[in-house]
Amino acid sequence: MRLFFELARRSFQRQLTYRAATIAGLVTNFFFGVLRVAVLTAFYGVQAEVNGLSLQGAITFTGLTQAIIGYLSLFGWYEVMNSIYTGAVATDLLKPMGYYRFWMAQDLGRAVAQLVMRALPIMLAYAIFFPITWPKSVGQWLALVVAMALAWMISFSVRFLANLAGFWTPNALGFVRFAFILMYFLTGFLMPLRFFPDWFVRLCNLTPFPYIINTVVEIFLGVLTGPQIVVALLSQLGWVVILGVACQLILRAGVRRLVIQGG
Amino acid sequence: MRHGLMLYFRLVGVQIRSQMQYRIPFLVEMASTGLITFASFATLALVFQRFEHIAGWNLGEVAFLYGMVETSFGVMDMLFSGFDPQNFGRQTRLGRFDQLMLRPVNLTVQVLGSEFILRRLGRIAQGTLVLVIALNWVDIHWTLAKLCYLPFVFIGQICFFGGLFIIGATISFWTLESIEFMNVFTYGGTEMMSYPATIYQDWLRKFFTYILPAVFINYYPALFILDKPDPFHMPAFASYLAPAAGFGVLAAALAFWRFGIQHYQSTGT
Repeated sequence: MRLFFELARRSFQRQLTYRAATIAGLVTNFFFGVLRVAVLTAFYGVQAEVNGLSLQGAITFTGLTQAIIGYLSLFGWYEVMNSIYTGAVATDLLKPMGYYRFWMAQDLGRAVAQLVMRALPIMLAYAIFFPITWPKSVGQWLALVVAMALAWMISFSVRFLANLAGFWTPNALGFVRFAFILMYFLTGFLMPLRFFPDWFVRLCNLTPFPYIINTVVEIFLGVLTGPQIVVALLSQLGWVVILGVACQLILRAGVRRLVIQGG
Repeated sequence: MRHGLMLYFRLVGVQIRSQMQYRIPFLVEMASTGLITFASFATLALVFQRFEHIAGWNLGEVAFLYGMVETSFGVMDMLFSGFDPQNFGRQTRLGRFDQLMLRPVNLTVQVLGSEFILRRLGRIAQGTLVLVIALNWVDIHWTLAKLCYLPFVFIGQICFFGGLFIIGATISFWTLESIEFMNVFTYGGTEMMSYPATIYQDWLRKFFTYILPAVFINYYPALFILDKPDPFHMPAFASYLAPAAGFGVLAAALAFWRFGIQHYQSTGT
């Protein structure tokens, strides 16, 4: 476990060095947030509430989703695939640590750094410029923390799984991109899932995707209460387990196929 | 000039052949880049079921805005990939730009021909599909003037976005890294242009009118083609400014590009 946290710490520090990129990223994330606020405000028009979500809630939704783009690596993460293609995977597999856990440790450091450097400043900027809501009770905050942690684990496993395609084809980029496109639409990132027709939401709920973002959003906004929160967190936990097992199984199959070109 | 053109086609031809080498990955990538466009639109269409209209525009009319921008951005992204700030910054850092400078051929032609991404055809196809759907849903009263003007709007948009790419590439002469900030103008521009301009706050709309003339590129031509009244009461010729604004941005970008080349300092790698 010590090795795990040491790796995470190193990865965290590595993230902190890209300061100019962070500021540019912050401005970009916030700007897109402003555009999304305009679109949602115009959609609401004179309506105060749409399917249980107030305009204030919808504005908070755009802030929260823009804030956690970096934390969840929503727009792309190709590191495992690249390490398969460069051959770095060979030395990584020799390390005294499971390959899945090795990457999870590094991704944890990356995610925490993104949380501090991107998520917090964006939420603060939103609090200054827009009327947003915050969780109201200690219980809600606690549930949010747990949901965020589980959301990161699901997102990591989905990304890891997609990257494993690199073991099977010399050009998995299209495949991995495809996984990120699914992530973009089915997580409830683009629009709150509540705005979609019921059949579409039911379809999404059969996949792990809504548990990456929509669950976090609905807990943050207080749309879910009491037992609903418990069910949501348990569903998240279920996906963490299922995807974790899937990652290990597919990784094992992939490693068996791996051929390293000696250099 | 003719030599440059021949060289350009030669460079692009090589790119196309190499990209077609791995057929299946090529097709998967093409489908996935196309899909993201279409899925965005499908999402919008589903959300419209709940809201029905946005600032007085129905789904068909918004689809028209969206399809226009997606198609022209896709064409631009295929032609101007060499200038894509995300790619160009990396090339410069690796010293590839220095290599180009040593060759006795026009630099702009070389950069333009250095990357031609055929899989963008996926995005173009889906953008066109959205546009076709829009034309089916909206009852447009076609006149000869509108039909003649439409191609010029497209060309204006392609020049406009191409200009933004060139500006982004030039900035990376100094920053030397891919600057996510340029996304505000390129991808932010397409996002912004996909909705009626009335939904934006005053400062944002003024920025996209007077500093970066984005509203004249898509919104005003759309008002003209869809016969919608102008809520901002601009002079009537505002609807016909798309080609001028597009060429203007491209010309300014090329001037900036030449300035950048003159002040270029290699990283030494």
